[in-house]
Amino acid sequence: MNDEHKIVQQVYAAKEDVQAADRLISTYIPFIKTETAKFLKRPPIEGHDDELSIAMIAFHEAINGYSRTRGAFLKYAALLIRSRLIDYSRMEQRHSRVVSLDAPTGEDDKTLGETLADKREPHEEMAARDATRSEIEELTRQMQEFGVSLSDVADNCPRQQRTLDACRKALQYAGATPELLNDLLRTKKLPIGPLAAGSGVERKTLERHRKYMVALLLIYTNGYEIIRGHLKQVMKGVAV
Amino acid sequence: MRYLVMECHPSYAVLLDEEGRFLKAANLRYEMGQTVYAPVLMKETPKRQRHTMRWISSIAAAAACFLLFFGISHYQNYLQPYSSIYLTINPEVQMDLNRRGIVVKLSGANEDGEILLEGYDGKGKDKVIVADELIDRAIEMGFLSEGGKVSFSIDSPDEALFQEYGTELRTKVTEHLDGRITITIEIVKHKDGQGQENPENSSSPDSFQPTSSQPASTSPPPSESSRPEIVPPTPSATTDYDNTDYGTSNDGVTDHTPPASSTPAYVDTDYGSGNDGVTDYTDGNTDYAPGNDSDDDLEENGDSSYDDDDGSNNDDSDYGDDED
Repeated sequence: MNDEHKIVQQVYAAKEDVQAADRLISTYIPFIKTETAKFLKRPPIEGHDDELSIAMIAFHEAINGYSRTRGAFLKYAALLIRSRLIDYSRMEQRHSRVVSLDAPTGEDDKTLGETLADKREPHEEMAARDATRSEIEELTRQMQEFGVSLSDVADNCPRQQRTLDACRKALQYAGATPELLNDLLRTKKLPIGPLAAGSGVERKTLERHRKYMVALLLIYTNGYEIIRGHLKQVMKGVAV
Repeated sequence: MRYLVMECHPSYAVLLDEEGRFLKAANLRYEMGQTVYAPVLMKETPKRQRHTMRWISSIAAAAACFLLFFGISHYQNYLQPYSSIYLTINPEVQMDLNRRGIVVKLSGANEDGEILLEGYDGKGKDKVIVADELIDRAIEMGFLSEGGKVSFSIDSPDEALFQEYGTELRTKVTEHLDGRITITIEIVKHKDGQGQENPENSSSPDSFQPTSSQPASTSPPPSESSRPEIVPPTPSATTDYDNTDYGTSNDGVTDHTPPASSTPAYVDTDYGSGNDGVTDYTDGNTDYAPGNDSDDDLEENGDSSYDDDDGSNNDDSDYGDDED
């Protein structure tokens, strides 16, 4: 009874705090592995089986979706893990006719992938990835000044296309008026009032997605060329 | 669609898609800054909406049940016609009443009734008020005049309600018209038809005072049971009762009743006259004379016997005559 109570408390704490969620998941890794093993009929190998990652995100979903009224948490988590693994296996069946690059060719223990000519240059790719990583790290650091983390933004992101369009409209207005961006950087606060008045977007919409707006506005203030290049459509036609 | 891996956690990764959405997805050995194509995105559970929907739906269901229950009881008590009263002067008006005795519908049963109801709205009023007002209107419009007759034909599902409405209407309408006009008020049970119930109706002619007609209105039920007791003692005293059969039948009855009670008197008279007859018979029965002739035996016996009898003197005189 006490154990159950403790895990419920932990789950409710993990709903609010990303780090608490990470801690809870790392505590329950054996449980997640067991559930995956039940599905795979063999023990999963960490860093090799995608199913384990799927099981982990299913556990994360269980944390977000759990409610005291739904009974025991672990039963709920087990159910959700199993459902997600089934979904994943069905999705993977689409590729059952495709030959894996890791399949052996039968010659000199080489895999199929190794026999193909690779047009990509791994060194350049690695360099680009490092550059991207440094940009992301810089963005994360800057966002921390606003008290916003990337996980928060992911939770705060607009789901509906209509809301996304409204936020995009506000972003376009902000991109056209550099004073707003300067205000943002100076005051460390999102200028919701002028943004709503200027763009015609409902103030409530902007308030609800404040963290998301902060993240995207920061991306469009200084630098972040690579991330901005990734976002093709968001600021189309807006000269910054 | 391409996704940029923004952040990596043990259980998930934060991805940024090309449209500017930040998403959580399964971390399939991703690294920060990597571009991925087919991530397994985390499914969002819109729990808040579901909660509010559940609340709203449960409250709505409870409210619907509540409204349905009270709606039905309200309909049964107030809107559904439960009984009817047909007010007949010459214009005939049908009043449909709910369980509370409130008029829910008024309609004219004949042409005059429709004329009487023209421009009048009696919905929601008590039956007595509507009856009073309709009678007033009838008087104003000339349908009802001095000495006229108003008939209330009550169609009710049970007898108790008929009695209650009948008594109430008679009392209240009489009070309403007191001192203004004298009319006859008749209460009839609608279902059984007027003909059957007429004798039971206490038609109170208003030539009597209204105060006297009130007890008359309440008396009909008991009068039925008390009639046999009250009538015989005063068969001819009240002129009203003369009309009944009892007045005429009493004469016949009195002839019959005495024999039952006065049998001893009757015997006495016969006996009295019988004495005379006996003397005649003794006269006729000359056979006794020869018996008498044998005086000694008979005299001893006859004297002793006849002396015991009442008319010893007569006997003596008779015998004396016989002997003469």
